[in-house]
Amino acid sequence: MQDHGKRPLIFPKWVDSLRPVVFGVASIVPVYALVLLYYGGSPRTTDVGYMPAQPVPYSHTVHAGDLGIDCRYCHTTVEDTAHAAVPPTQTCMNCHTGIHPESPQLVPVRESFSTGLPVRWVRVHDLPDYVYFDHSAHVSRGVGCVECHDRVDKMDTVVQAQPLSMGWCLDCHRNPDPHLRPLDEVTNMVWEPPGDRAELGARLRERYGIAPSEDCSTCHR
Amino acid sequence: MSVVGTTAPSADPWDNTSDDPTRRAPLVLGAADYASVTEKVAELAERRRPPRAWYIAFGVSLALTGLLGAMILYLFTTGVGVWGLNSPVGWAFDIINFVFWVGIGHAGTLISAILFLFRQSWRTGINRFAEAMTIFAVICAGLFPAIHVGRVWLIYWVFPLPNQMQVWPNFRSPLLWDVFAVSTYFTVSLLFWYMGMIPDLATLRDRATSRVRQRVYGLFAMGWRGSNRHWQNYERVYLILAALATPLVLSVHSVVSFDFAVSMVPGWHTTIFPPYFVAGAIFCGFAMVLLLAVPARQWFGLEALITLRHLENMNKIMLATGMIIGYAYFIEFFIAWYGGNVYEHFAFVNRALGPYAWSYWIMVTCNVIAPQLFWSKRIRTSPWVAWGICVFINVGMWFERFVIIVTSLSRDYLPGSWGAYKPTWVELCTLLGSFGLFFTLFLLFVRFVPMVAMAEVKAVLPQADAHASPNEPERRATGTLAVEKA
Amino acid sequence: MSSLDPTTDSGRPRSFWRSLDERADTPEFRQFVEREFPAWADEMLEPASRRRFLQLMGASMALAGMTACRWPAEPIVPFAHRPAGFVPGEPLHYATALELAGAAVGLLVTSYDGRPIKVEGNPDHAYGLGGTLAWHQAALLDLYDPDRSQHVAQREAGPASWDDFVAFARPHFDALRAVRGSRLAVLADASSSPSRADMRARFTAAFPDARWYEYEPLSRDNAREGARLAFGRPQRTHVALDRAETILSLDEDFLLHHPAAVRYARDFVLGRDPDGATFSRLWVVETSPSLTGSVADRRIAIPNRAIQAFATCVLAKLVHEAGADLPAALDGLGPVLDAARRHPMYGRVDADLVLDLAGKAGRTVVLAGPRLPAETHALVHALNATLGNVGRTVTYTAEPDPDRPSHAQAIRDLARDMGRNFVDTLVLVGGNPVYDAPADLGFGDLLARVKTSIRLGAYEDETSRVCTWHVPRAHIFESWGDARDFGGTVCLIQPLIEPLHGGRTDLDLLAQLLGEAPFAAYEIVRRTFARGAAEPDPRAWHEALRVGVVAGTAWPEAGPTIGTAGWSKRLRAALDAPAYPEPGSYELVFGPDASVIDGRFANNGWLQELADPLTKLTWDNAVIVAPATAAEMGVRHGDVVRVTRSGTSVELPVFVLPGQAPRTVGATLGYGRTRAGRVGSGAGFDVYPLRVGDDTAWADVRVEPTGRTYRLATTQDHFAIDTLGAQERAERAVTLVREVELEAWRHDPQHAMPGEHAVAPVELWKPHEYPDERWGMAIDLNACTGCGACVVACQAENNIPIVGKAEVARGREMHWIRIDRYFAGAPDAPEIVHQPVTCHHCENAPCEQVCPVGATVHDAEGLNVMVYNRCIGTRYCNNNCPYKVRRFNWFNNQKHQSDLEVMIYNPDVTVRSRGVMEKCTFCLQRIQSVRIQARNEQVRGENGRAAGRLIRDGEIVPACAQACPTRAIDFGDLNDPESRVHRKHASPRAYRMLAEFNVRPRTAYLARVRNRGGHPEGAA
Repeated sequence: MQDHGKRPLIFPKWVDSLRPVVFGVASIVPVYALVLLYYGGSPRTTDVGYMPAQPVPYSHTVHAGDLGIDCRYCHTTVEDTAHAAVPPTQTCMNCHTGIHPESPQLVPVRESFSTGLPVRWVRVHDLPDYVYFDHSAHVSRGVGCVECHDRVDKMDTVVQAQPLSMGWCLDCHRNPDPHLRPLDEVTNMVWEPPGDRAELGARLRERYGIAPSEDCSTCHR
Repeated sequence: MSVVGTTAPSADPWDNTSDDPTRRAPLVLGAADYASVTEKVAELAERRRPPRAWYIAFGVSLALTGLLGAMILYLFTTGVGVWGLNSPVGWAFDIINFVFWVGIGHAGTLISAILFLFRQSWRTGINRFAEAMTIFAVICAGLFPAIHVGRVWLIYWVFPLPNQMQVWPNFRSPLLWDVFAVSTYFTVSLLFWYMGMIPDLATLRDRATSRVRQRVYGLFAMGWRGSNRHWQNYERVYLILAALATPLVLSVHSVVSFDFAVSMVPGWHTTIFPPYFVAGAIFCGFAMVLLLAVPARQWFGLEALITLRHLENMNKIMLATGMIIGYAYFIEFFIAWYGGNVYEHFAFVNRALGPYAWSYWIMVTCNVIAPQLFWSKRIRTSPWVAWGICVFINVGMWFERFVIIVTSLSRDYLPGSWGAYKPTWVELCTLLGSFGLFFTLFLLFVRFVPMVAMAEVKAVLPQADAHASPNEPERRATGTLAVEKA
Repeated sequence: MSSLDPTTDSGRPRSFWRSLDERADTPEFRQFVEREFPAWADEMLEPASRRRFLQLMGASMALAGMTACRWPAEPIVPFAHRPAGFVPGEPLHYATALELAGAAVGLLVTSYDGRPIKVEGNPDHAYGLGGTLAWHQAALLDLYDPDRSQHVAQREAGPASWDDFVAFARPHFDALRAVRGSRLAVLADASSSPSRADMRARFTAAFPDARWYEYEPLSRDNAREGARLAFGRPQRTHVALDRAETILSLDEDFLLHHPAAVRYARDFVLGRDPDGATFSRLWVVETSPSLTGSVADRRIAIPNRAIQAFATCVLAKLVHEAGADLPAALDGLGPVLDAARRHPMYGRVDADLVLDLAGKAGRTVVLAGPRLPAETHALVHALNATLGNVGRTVTYTAEPDPDRPSHAQAIRDLARDMGRNFVDTLVLVGGNPVYDAPADLGFGDLLARVKTSIRLGAYEDETSRVCTWHVPRAHIFESWGDARDFGGTVCLIQPLIEPLHGGRTDLDLLAQLLGEAPFAAYEIVRRTFARGAAEPDPRAWHEALRVGVVAGTAWPEAGPTIGTAGWSKRLRAALDAPAYPEPGSYELVFGPDASVIDGRFANNGWLQELADPLTKLTWDNAVIVAPATAAEMGVRHGDVVRVTRSGTSVELPVFVLPGQAPRTVGATLGYGRTRAGRVGSGAGFDVYPLRVGDDTAWADVRVEPTGRTYRLATTQDHFAIDTLGAQERAERAVTLVREVELEAWRHDPQHAMPGEHAVAPVELWKPHEYPDERWGMAIDLNACTGCGACVVACQAENNIPIVGKAEVARGREMHWIRIDRYFAGAPDAPEIVHQPVTCHHCENAPCEQVCPVGATVHDAEGLNVMVYNRCIGTRYCNNNCPYKVRRFNWFNNQKHQSDLEVMIYNPDVTVRSRGVMEKCTFCLQRIQSVRIQARNEQVRGENGRAAGRLIRDGEIVPACAQACPTRAIDFGDLNDPESRVHRKHASPRAYRMLAEFNVRPRTAYLARVRNRGGHPEGAA
C-alpha cells in the first residue's frame, strides 16, 4: 500500500482543486432550494398582482376615487353578511340610465340589463373553498377595506394587492392593533390615523372587545 | 499455518466452534494470509460475470421490485381504499411491514457498533453485509410510512419546514418521533457502512484493471492511501461513529414501539413495548443476517471467512433474544390479567382465542418454540438447518406485528364499532414487492462491493499481531483473553 | 319557468344534466342556471372550478408548479336584477310539507341561493313540532336525483315534450267527456290534499262514468274498516300518549310507521319523564321486532294471527278477573269473552298487563296496527271503551271520504275491469302498481293491454315502462300543493325551486285533463284555500304560506257510538283458528321498510345507506329469523333460503335477529326494484310476489336452505361474531349503555345509578381554558328511540358522501353519527337499547395528541376541530379514538357526481377530498354563523361597549338535535349554568362513556329508565 506513489494517477492533479467547489456546492444548493421554494411558492409571489381583464372596463378610480362613491353603495351586503356581494346590473343602471347612456364601454351592462343575463365578472380576491372569510365580522370590528383590498380607489382595474395567505391573515389576527380604525372610517380609503396608530388600535381593540382568534375552526369548517 | 490444524480438537479443520478454554478458536480458516484474504474477497467483486444463480435471483427480485412500483402507482392514483383497511382497522400491512423491516434493520448496526465496542472480533467476518442489509431494510421500512398516508403529496408536512401557513408539525405525535428516529438511524448507518468500506474500496481501486472501475472505485475511495494518518483518523472516526450508533440501536425501535405504547388502544398501551421491540428487532435482524450469510458463504465459497463459529454465535444470540421475546409474551398476558383493566384483558384473551388466534399461534410457534432448537449444538452448527429456523423466525416476527396491530385494532372499546380486516391482493403484492426491492439492492451489493470487510478481517489474522509469542500466538491476535473466556 | 319549459327549448331530448357540456352553452340553460343558482352558476358552467379543493391540494404537492397555485379564473355571476330582500350567499327558510302514508308533516326547507339544501321540521306544525323522520330529511336527495325522469315519454315515439302530450290529451279527453268518461279510469296514490279532492270531484263531475281508484300497498284501511264495524262509520283514532300510564300496542309501530309518528314519538317521550309525575309503561305485542318494540318495557312476541286472540283474552281477563265492567253497548261480546277463557292465549296474557290496564280509567291507551284485521281494530275500540279511555286518552275524528273502497278492494276492482277490457284509458297518478300491486293480479300484463295509459311518475319505473304515456312528476319541493296532517289541519306546499326537469304535479295533470289548463297547481291551491271565494284573502294566504299551516282546519272531534253488531260473531269464530302455523310452515310477516318504506325511496342513497334501526342492515332486506328458529331450520346468518308460498317462491338471505316470534319470519317490502334507478335497482329482494290475495299482512310459507350464502352489509357487527366476542359485547353493553329501574330512581335518584370510576386526573399538558363558551352535548337515552333521523340529517347538513354497499360491508360507512344497538337478556325475549354515538370532543382528546401534522386540535370553545386541509391521512387519530367516530375518505367520494348532484351540497361545509379524515364538528358552521351574528350585534350594541349580546341558549342547534323527533339531543354552553345542556350534565342520570380513561368527553349520556314493573319474564 505504500507504493501508491509509483502508480499512474487515476485522476488528474487538477481534480484536487475541485474539492472545495464540491463541498461548497453541496452545502449551498439545499439551502438555496429551500429559500427558493419558500419564497417562490408563497402566495406573495404567485398571487399578488393578479389583475384579470374584466368584461366591463369598470374603474374604481373613477367611481370610488374621483366620484367618491362609498363602497357600500354597490357592495351593500358587506356589513351584515359574509359576502360583499358584487352589485346587480340594476345598481349600475341606477346612474347610467342618465349618465353616459350611450357609452360603448357600457354595452355589456345595458345588454345584461335588458336581457337579464348577468355580467360575468372575474373574481380577483379568491380564497380556497375550504376557507370561510366573513366580511361582516371584520368590517364591524373596524378593519378597513384598505387593509386587505388596498387603495381600490386608485385601481382602474382591480388587482390583488395582498397575498391573502394564511400566514398573512395570522399576522393581523396575532397583532390587530395597527390594522384597526374607528367604525365610521372603515370604508374611508384615505383615512389617516390621528397620532400613533398602534396606540389608537389598542384603544379600539379594548373598545370593540376584539379578541382575534387563531383557532383553525375560525376559518376552516 | 500449522496453527489451525492443532487448534481445532475436532477432526474437521473447518470446525472452529469448540470452546476449549485453553485454546482460542481462530476466526479465519484455511491457509489465510493478507494476500489470500484480499484475493478471495476482491475477486468476488472483480469477476467478469457472477454465477448463474445470481442472475436468476436478480431477475426475480427485479421483477418483484417492478411489482412494488406498480402497486404504489395504483395506490397513489386510486387512494388508500385499495387496501383492505377500514374503521376500526386503520393500519395493517402498511405499518406491519414498516415495523418488520425496521426490525430487520437492527442487526447491522448492532453487529458493527455494539459488538465493535465490546471487542467481539468475530463481527469482522459478517459486519459488512450485515450493515448493508441494515441499510436496505431501512430503505424498505421507510417506504411504508411514506406511502400509507391518504394524501402522499403532502407527506413533507411531517418535516418541520418553514411555510407561509405558519404551522409546524405536532411534536407530541409519536409518528413525528418516528420520522426523526428512522432518518437519523438511516443516516448514521449509511455513514458507518461507507466509512468502513473506504479502505476496501481503495484496495479494489488499486486492483482495478479497467479505467472505469478505477475511476468509480477511486471516486468512492476518496483518495485513501492507507497512510498512517489515514488509518489513525479512520480508527478514531470509526470509534466515534460506533459510539453514536450504539444508542440508536436501542432508540429507533423504542421510538417505533411508542407509536403503539403511547396510544390508548387496548393491546398497544403497554410499557413493556420498548425493550420487547428492541429484543425482537435484534432477534429477527440476526435471523435475516444468517438467512443471507448461509447461502452467500456457500455460493461464493466464503466458508473460510464466515466460519461456523460466526453462525453459531449468531444462533446463540437468537436463542437468547428469542427467550426474551417469549418472556415478553408471557408477561404481557400476566399484566393484562393482573392490571385488572377489562379492555386490556379482553384484548389479550382475544389475541389467543379470538378470530385472529391463528396468527397468534403462528407467532408463538415461530418465535418462541422454533429457536429452542438452538439448544442443540448440532443444529447450531449445521448451517442449512439453522437457515430453516431463521425463515421461521422472520415469519414469526412479521406475524408478531400483525397480531399487535390488527387484532388490537379490530376489537377496541365499543363493541358497536368492532370490525374485521382482510388484506387485498394489493397489500399482498406490496409486501412481496418490498422483499423484491430488498433483495435487488442486496444482490447489487454482493456484485459490486466487497461483501466482507477485508481490512478488518486481516486485523484478526494471527499475522496481524506483531507481538504474538510462539506458544500462544493467537492470544493477542484478537483482543483480550478475558472476553473470549467469558 | 320558461328556461326549463320543454316547450321553449330546442326540443332535443332533455338530457343535459347527464351530458352537461353539450348543453351548457344554450342560452336558456345559462339563463336558468344563472337566475336559479347565482353563486353556483360558475360551478355548474365550469365544472373544473368545482374541484378546486383537490386542485389546490395537488398544486401544493411539493409546490411543484408554483404557478399552479393560481387556480383557474372563477367568474362572479351577480343578478341582473336582484330580487328585493334577497342576499346572495345567505340561507332562506320556506315552510312546506311532505305527505307520507296519507298524512302530512310540516317542514321548513333551507334554501341557499335558490338551492334547497336542508330540510327541518316546522315547529309551528302540531304533528311535527319541529321534528322529522329520516324520510323527511332524505326527500331532498330525490330532488337532485339524476335518475328522475326528465321528459315526457311516449311508448312508441320515445322522448316527447309536454306540448306533444297536450296535443294528444286535449282531443282525447274532449272525446271522453262526450261519452261521460266511460271506459276511463284513474288510479291514484293516496292523498289527503283538499285540492286534489276538489279536482277529483270536478273530474268525476266532468266524467261521470269514469272510475276513480286509490291504491297504496301499505294502507291503514283495516283501521278504517275496524271503525266501520265498531261505529258504523270510518273513524280515525287519536291517542294522547303523553297522558297515558299504560300503553298497550298491538303490532302498532307508532314511533316509525304511523302517519303521526313524529308527534306520537314526542308525546310518548313526554309521558316518560323520569322527573315528572307520570311515567308510562309500554307493552308491545308484535311478531317482528319493530322500533316501538325495541323501546318497550315489556314485549310479547307471538304470531301475527294470534294477536287478535290475545287481545280478546286481554279483554276477557279484564272483565272476568280484574272486574272491569263491559259497557252495555258491548254486551254482544259476552259469549266471545267466555269462549276466550278456554283459549290457549288466555294463559299467555300476563297478570301484570291486566293489572296495568285495570282500574285506570282514562289513563291507559290500547292501539292496534294496520296489519291486524278489521275485527281486531273493532275489538281495540271495545277495549278502550271498556277501559274508559274514550274522550280522555283516546279520541276520534271522522275519516274523510268514508265511502271509498279499501285500497285492496280498489286495485282488485280495477284489475277486474281491466281484465274484462272495460278500461280503454287509464290515468295513473303516482304510485307504482306494477311493482307493488298484489302479485296474483298480474297488474303489469293487464296494464300493458290498456289502449291508452297515462302515467304521472317521478321515475320511468316498472309502471311507466308499460304505459303509453309517461309524464314526469314534479318533486314535492318543486310543487304547489296542499295536504292534511293526521288531525286534518291543512298544510300548504310551496315550491322552493322551479321544476328542474319540467315535472308536473298531479294537480297540473288533472287540470290539463279537465281542460282547465293553463290553470294549474298554484291557482288550484289558492282556489281551494279561498273555499269558493274568487280570491283568497291575501293576508291570510301569505300568513298561511309563512307559517305553513292553515289555522282552524283541523277536524272536529267525533263522538261515535260503539256497537258489536256484525263483528262479535266473526270475533268468536276467529278464536277457533289456530294460533300457530302448521308444523313445517312458518308465518311470514310483511312489513314496511325503515328505509324505503314500500319501495318509493328505493333510489335514495341516504336511505339505502341508513342502517335499519334493528338489524343495522344497509342496501338490502332479508328474512328475519329468531336464533332458535334458525337453528330449527338449520340455517345460519347470511344463508340464502327459498321462501315458498303456494307455488311462488322468492330467494333471499337470512338475518338472524333476536326477538322475532317463534314459528314466524319477517320480511320488509320495497326492495328488489328492477327500474328504480342507478341506486335502487337490484338492491335487496322483492317479496311482493309472495303478497297475494287479500291477506296482505302475513302468509304461511315454507322455508328451505339453498346452500348458497349472501353478503349482507351491516354498519354494526360487520362479521359473524364468535362466542368470545359475543360474551364480551354483552358484558360491556351494560356499562356503556346505563339503565336504571324506575322504582330505584324514584326511591333515590342520587344512588340509583351505578357509580362511575372516579379518576384523579393527571394532566400531561396544560389544561385548556375557556373564557367564553364551552360547547357540550347531552344525549338522553331515555328519549332516544333509535329512529335514525339524526343520521340522515347529519348527512344532509355536512355533505357526507354515500359510499355504497361494498364499502359499507368493508366497514367504511361515513356517517358522523351512528346509533349503536345492543341486545340484552335472553335471545328469545331480548331487551334492545339504542345509543347514538358521535364525536365526544374530549377534553384530553387522544386523537389530538397523535396527529403528526396537528390536523386535529382543540379550539378556544372546547371543540375538537378537524382541519381537513391540514390532514395528510395517517389514520392514527381514528386508531386512537376510543369511540371510533372518525371517518376516512378512502377514495375520492365526489368523483363520479353529476353537476346536478353536487347542487345539494351545503356551501358552509367543506367538501372533503380523498385521503382526509373527517368527523362530527358539532355543526361548527352553525356555531360560527350564530357567533358571528351575535358578536356583530355585540359591537353595534350601545357604542361598541364589549358588553353586548351573548349567544342565547338553544340558539345554536346541531342538525342531529334539530331533526330529533323526541328532542333526545341537547347542545349548548357548559359554562352557562342555566343552559339545558348544563342542567342535563348535572342530572344524576348523567354519565360519560369510558370516563375512566380520563379522556373527559364533552358528551354526557343520560341513563335510560326502565319501567318493567311486576316481575317480567321477558327481561333477563
